[in-house]
Amino acid sequence: MFSVIRNKKPKKSVNRDMLNKQRRYDSLVRALHGDLFRYAFWLCGDKHIAEDITQETFLRAWRSLESLKDDKAAKAWLITILRRENARRFERKQFDYSDVEQADIADHISASSEESMEQHMLRRQIAKLEAEYREPLILQVIGGFSGEEIADILDLNRNTVMTRLFRARNQLKEILDDTQTRGRSNG
Amino acid sequence: MDELKFRREAYENPNRQDDEFLASMHESSERTAFVNDLKLLDKKLEAALKVEVPEDLEAKLLLNQQLHQHQVERRKTGFTLALVASIAFIAGISFTLLRLAPVDLGQHALAHVYHEEMAMKSERNISVDEVNTQLASLTSLNHARFTEQPGRVLYSTYCDFQGVKSIHLVMQGKQGKVTLFIVPLEDRMVLEEAFADNRYQGMGFKSDNAYVLLVGEDVTDLNFVRDEVKESFI
Repeated sequence: MFSVIRNKKPKKSVNRDMLNKQRRYDSLVRALHGDLFRYAFWLCGDKHIAEDITQETFLRAWRSLESLKDDKAAKAWLITILRRENARRFERKQFDYSDVEQADIADHISASSEESMEQHMLRRQIAKLEAEYREPLILQVIGGFSGEEIADILDLNRNTVMTRLFRARNQLKEILDDTQTRGRSNG
Repeated sequence: MDELKFRREAYENPNRQDDEFLASMHESSERTAFVNDLKLLDKKLEAALKVEVPEDLEAKLLLNQQLHQHQVERRKTGFTLALVASIAFIAGISFTLLRLAPVDLGQHALAHVYHEEMAMKSERNISVDEVNTQLASLTSLNHARFTEQPGRVLYSTYCDFQGVKSIHLVMQGKQGKVTLFIVPLEDRMVLEEAFADNRYQGMGFKSDNAYVLLVGEDVTDLNFVRDEVKESFI
């Protein structure tokens, strides 16, 4: 009699916990997989690798979902995991990527017909931007994070983040203005 | 706010909403245009950064987690199975080792007599043929048998001596009953010629093919039965 009651209760609550965890995970995936995939793409410059990293990230997130206390912090938490996953990729492959990769990125971003030339060009320029400038910019523009939050995620101080944001926009704007004037003079 | 600081802040984030920034933006139309220009850049950037997400990525992520969960559960059951298997294995090993341990026939015989109290109450008359049939079924005895009726046999059955199938007989002595064990020869058996506890006396000898153990309350009974057995048992 007693043992029946005792056996049943924990089982139910375990199932309920599992169900809650599952629901939480599902909604995280639905809400954030796009942003994370994009972030991964701009980190590594390859859609397939970005997909792999995103999958690894969510799997890791599932394993330690209990450690995420505040759902509002989920995005920053996932991005932190994703950055670690990306870094792990470099630990595995011990050769120098920096030069090769930049060239690679440019090739991977192909201009589709509906994509405007300007956007295509901008993508190439973003990809050419140094990673330390690119990352804060992506976090700000598509992540919607504040300077403090970016500083937190990247483990930098706020002033450094602001400087990098300044330089990133400055560089992109200069290139953009440059090509526009050149285009005009050519035309 | 001076021009340099204003421009710097605008580059850092053209969409900032704090009063100081907004106020200095509205100071001149040039500044407003400058910020709007940057805002336009941000719009373009946002569009450029929003690369297409693979359509099936969401489904993949959900499936991946389900598979992972499934594997974890399987690993758990696998572990349990391995645990159970190793326990069974250890149990098997120790049981086998136990069976290989030397067997003190005398002590075992005494224990057996106490264990089968009801054998001593039997009053049947069992013929030598019946006993021989039982002996014949123990192949490890190498066809040992009684050549003639060894006195009165009151009880006869198979029994187990640490895993060795043996014969358990109760015979009539001069006064009391004597229990007789016939155990096939085996290396790990240790035979004592005489053994006893506070109730029973015991003696043992080795025939050609078997150990013979006798247990009874009186030594004269034992000697009587032993002589009978020695004459008839080959």
